[in-house]
Amino acid sequence: MNAILTIARREIYSWFVSPIAYVVLTVWLLTCGMVFFLLAMAFSTGGSGGGENLLQAFFGGTSFFYQTLLVFAPILTMRLLAEERARGTMEALLTAPVTEVQVVLGKYLAAMVFWVSLWVPTLLYVWVASGTAEDVIDYGALAATYVGLLGLGVFFMAIGLLMSAVARNQIVAAMLTFMVLGGIYVLGFAGYIVPDDDLRAIFEYLGMWAQMSTFSKGLIDTRYLVFDGTVALLSLFLAVRVLQANRAQ
Amino acid sequence: MIQIDHLTKRYGERLAVNDISFRVEPGEVIGFLGPNGAGKSTTLRMLTGYLTPNEGSIRIGDVDAIASPVKARKLIGYMPESVPLYREMRVEEYLRYRARLKQVPSAKRKAHIDKALELASVADVRDRIIGQLSKGYRSRVGLADALVADPPLLVLDEPTAGLDPNQIRQVRDLIRGMAGEKTVLLSTHILPEVESTCGRVLIINKGELVGEGEPGNLRAASEGQQMITVEARSAREPLEELLLKVEGVRSVADATLLSNDPPVTRLKLAADAGEITERIFSAIAEASLTLRELRRDEASLEDVFASLTTRDGSQDEAEESSEEPGDKQEEGGA
Repeated sequence: MNAILTIARREIYSWFVSPIAYVVLTVWLLTCGMVFFLLAMAFSTGGSGGGENLLQAFFGGTSFFYQTLLVFAPILTMRLLAEERARGTMEALLTAPVTEVQVVLGKYLAAMVFWVSLWVPTLLYVWVASGTAEDVIDYGALAATYVGLLGLGVFFMAIGLLMSAVARNQIVAAMLTFMVLGGIYVLGFAGYIVPDDDLRAIFEYLGMWAQMSTFSKGLIDTRYLVFDGTVALLSLFLAVRVLQANRAQ
Repeated sequence: MIQIDHLTKRYGERLAVNDISFRVEPGEVIGFLGPNGAGKSTTLRMLTGYLTPNEGSIRIGDVDAIASPVKARKLIGYMPESVPLYREMRVEEYLRYRARLKQVPSAKRKAHIDKALELASVADVRDRIIGQLSKGYRSRVGLADALVADPPLLVLDEPTAGLDPNQIRQVRDLIRGMAGEKTVLLSTHILPEVESTCGRVLIINKGELVGEGEPGNLRAASEGQQMITVEARSAREPLEELLLKVEGVRSVADATLLSNDPPVTRLKLAADAGEITERIFSAIAEASLTLRELRRDEASLEDVFASLTTRDGSQDEAEESSEEPGDKQEEGGA
């Protein structure tokens, strides 16, 4: 456990001293702010942004978010293992008395911290929305929303970590992550064009948008969480195997 | 302290390390010597657990390093050849991280870090960012990292690469000072380093162990062999060809083209003991070449090394030197 925390701590340190962290956070907040502003405008003029209230529309009713996330999630995870390999520090890390499992879990923990750091500022929007008289916040639904976001993070960060383990450098890692996550995202839309009912259900289930619109309504649908968790476990297991296989070359 | 048996590593088809076995006693300082690409780093990487061997066994102390790698790695302080460091961290922060990773108890961490900083003479840059340090400092930060957990075994892959002469002396003094207290295995392709720091030498070439012994004894082993320096007006290849045909000449240890027009070549030959200079003289005279110098030298450790690692002919040597011209120069200058 100690080794995991040590590795995670160093990773978090390196992320937050790098300029890229602040570029990502700034662009992220600008995007969120713009989406929130547009939705707030729509609601204040009597329209609807695709949800019953402002926050629900913000978290689950628009696809802006998920498209931005598809670009940002890979940036959060691309460095994790690929950079260690590219810079050669992997050799120092893997000859320290730590196991591959500890390395992978440490990196994963750090990635989850990066993910959470994206969402903490959105609490501000909750505060802003709570100031509008007619928009009483459903705190239960809000809690479910954040559970959904966490579940999505568990899923995204694990895929990103696996790609970072496989790729030779950061750029390739980011591109692979983007392709996998983007592919799953697009599959979610396939539900609209597939005539077969069962198949459509599967595609909708895969879509991250469906997950968020469900959770933002206050529905904690465990099927999505099971999906997120199993994808994460599989990815982390494979990442450990990749590190072990690298030793055998 | 180290017990290696029949260690073999393949990279695909290529055999990088072929059936190497050796022992290192506690407190020994042992040099691992070989040309670039001989398999030194691969062997050290297997020893430190970064790579798993295809065959063979490794014991560190009384730990089977292949069955319980984490336990074995706790006994080793390893400085990889490229000295990989996190450039964005400060020196002391980095060592604190490494000490934590190597499970140095928190109560002792501060003392360990201070001692490692001092031993590797990097205490003056403890607050500097690693990426801004010179190469000499960075490689000593790597050394401090190897020392920080105070392990019984130090494995140093070319610890003096990139240092200036003063720093080289410091590092060698440091290593010598640890003899008896710690076991040190250091790899190098610089011969004087071995002569000045190591009690014993292992010579590796093309993945195989080709020589072993004390630096003094290795030189003795080369008796029965002599080094001849020949300088003549001729291009390199025809002269080599001519002299390799002379009875008693074993190999060309070194060849330099001194000038191009007219061509003058200086060859260093490894040869059997005996009156060989006469035969060389008549061979050159018969070929109507002008002899400028003909001299017999006492074989140095460098020559032993050259003759041990170029047994398979001079062509391989040429290949190696074209691969790493920089290192070859360094070797000649040292």
